[in-house]
Amino acid sequence: MTQPHYKLDVRPILRAGGEPFLAVMQAVDALAPGQSLRLLATFKPIPLFHVLGSRGFEPTAREIGNGDWEVIFTPGNSQPEDKIPQSEPVIKSVDNAEETWPAPLTELDNRDLEPPDPMVRTLEGIEALLPGQTLAALLPREPLFLFKELESRGHLWRGSFDPEGHYRIVIRRG
Amino acid sequence: MMGTALSRWTMSYFTAALAFLVGAQVLMIAGYGFPAVPAEAPETLILVHMVTIGWLSLLMCGALFQFVPVLIAQPLRGGRLVLPALICLLSGLAFLLAGFLQLAGTIDTDLPLLAIAGMLLPVGFLLVVGVLVGTLLRANLTLPARFVAAGLACVLVTVTLGALFALLLSGFLPALAGLDFRAHALPVHIAVGLGGWLTFTAIGVSYRLLPMFMLSPDGERASSRVVWWSGIAALVLIALASPIVAMVERTGFMATPDTATGLAAALGLVSLILYGVDLAFFYRHRKRRVIELNSRAAQGAFLALILSALLLLALLATGTLGQHIGALLYLVAFGWLTGLGLSQLYKIVPFLTWLECYGPVMGKKPTPRVQDLVVEGRDRVWFALYFLGVLSGTGALLVNQPDVFRFAAGATLLATLAIVVELVLARRLYNVEDGKRLPEGTSRPRLFLPSL
Repeated sequence: MTQPHYKLDVRPILRAGGEPFLAVMQAVDALAPGQSLRLLATFKPIPLFHVLGSRGFEPTAREIGNGDWEVIFTPGNSQPEDKIPQSEPVIKSVDNAEETWPAPLTELDNRDLEPPDPMVRTLEGIEALLPGQTLAALLPREPLFLFKELESRGHLWRGSFDPEGHYRIVIRRG
Repeated sequence: MMGTALSRWTMSYFTAALAFLVGAQVLMIAGYGFPAVPAEAPETLILVHMVTIGWLSLLMCGALFQFVPVLIAQPLRGGRLVLPALICLLSGLAFLLAGFLQLAGTIDTDLPLLAIAGMLLPVGFLLVVGVLVGTLLRANLTLPARFVAAGLACVLVTVTLGALFALLLSGFLPALAGLDFRAHALPVHIAVGLGGWLTFTAIGVSYRLLPMFMLSPDGERASSRVVWWSGIAALVLIALASPIVAMVERTGFMATPDTATGLAAALGLVSLILYGVDLAFFYRHRKRRVIELNSRAAQGAFLALILSALLLLALLATGTLGQHIGALLYLVAFGWLTGLGLSQLYKIVPFLTWLECYGPVMGKKPTPRVQDLVVEGRDRVWFALYFLGVLSGTGALLVNQPDVFRFAAGATLLATLAIVVELVLARRLYNVEDGKRLPEGTSRPRLFLPSL
């Protein structure tokens, strides 16, 4: 029995500087039993692998050109072992949230670095940008010290937690 | 410093704390206080309060002002009260120590020194608790933050009882003079102070800092929740043992404070065992294979905590707790709390110094690594000497060998001084290569006062 994939293209949301997490979770909730999700994104959405992995989905990812990725999340046979109860992602921003930002030029995975390296790498990334450009970084936790440094350097940021407790931040160079 | 998340006065708290630690050990080597005189002698009280308030509490307060915001990802609220708190604590402690000297007959004055201490110290601790609770109230408390909140409640209980003692000893509160405070309130003062304020808070902070620096999974574990609940139950039982027994006896049942204390000890033990399980989990599941000296040296402190629990059990089983309480308290204060404090200062001071100095140019210019501020290879031996000194000191107290104890205190003092020198060198960026020390845009941090 083959069911067609449920297709979700979050590239327009990402290119508009938005946060596609909610759209993805709504799509997952709308899946029929056994149906898989075909997700199109502008980067390899590693955070989602963990999130949906915890709900029993297996990811298969491939690059489809222009830096875009296609990921198929196939539901496993077994029930998810432990569902992580998680409230709505906390969206924090210090800018006008209505404004759209350009898509991040880079996606840094700084989760497995020892402090203060997650902050150092992130700031190094920002210094390489031109004003107005953005980058995204995945951090081990909410970066209090980084916020202060961004504030004093005049950069803007938007961030939220993923259900695993990691923090994804998009920073726009001021 | 503008625009940083650094706590301005934390280094000043640490400096004062280390001065008291060194001073207390010098007195121990000189044979001042316990074991040369009884545990309840004024000379011993001087030593005990230099260690518990001067060293451990100032260390804990300074660390909490820096780390409570990190625990809950919220800025510190009421930060301008941090310096007045330090002034109240230091002046209150000075009056307390002078008051004990007055009791010992060393100082002859009519001033009610203890009573003045009994007002200044509570004000100082209230300011500390006010700032930290005001900050904690802004967030949903994660488990580590709940440990800290409980610790703050415990410091209030401890300091309230301490202030009552101070007023009683000064001849105030004659209405309460008939109560046997030594039997009912002193054990609570000690147990809630060391077990609640210092130990519970340290456990909470370690739940966050250890995984952070060793890159271990830091999700909330069921065992940690049991550590919290059994620990809280033990503390409440200890604090309320006397009133509970009085109430139970009124209903016609037999009960003694020993029943409540025994139950509290059992719950405390459950709490410590599961804490040990969590620690083992953090160390075993760390992603960082080679751990730094602070995490390595902290294992000495955890070992001392386990040994303290075993010693308490052995003393309770043999009915010799009263006789050997000094050795037990020494092991808790110097092995567990001081061992943990020194090992974590060895990480915290370089880390904060690094942030203070290199934060402004981070990402713009090459900077040294945090590890470049210390030379771990040469400092390993000092931590080893420190813990060996504590173990021998505890042994010497147990077999009643005061001279061996002084010799052991000499070893811990030597190690402490060496670690203090390393911390000063870290503040001074002494170990950083000349060319990398101060890139353009940075300035040298001050030793212990905040930069303007």
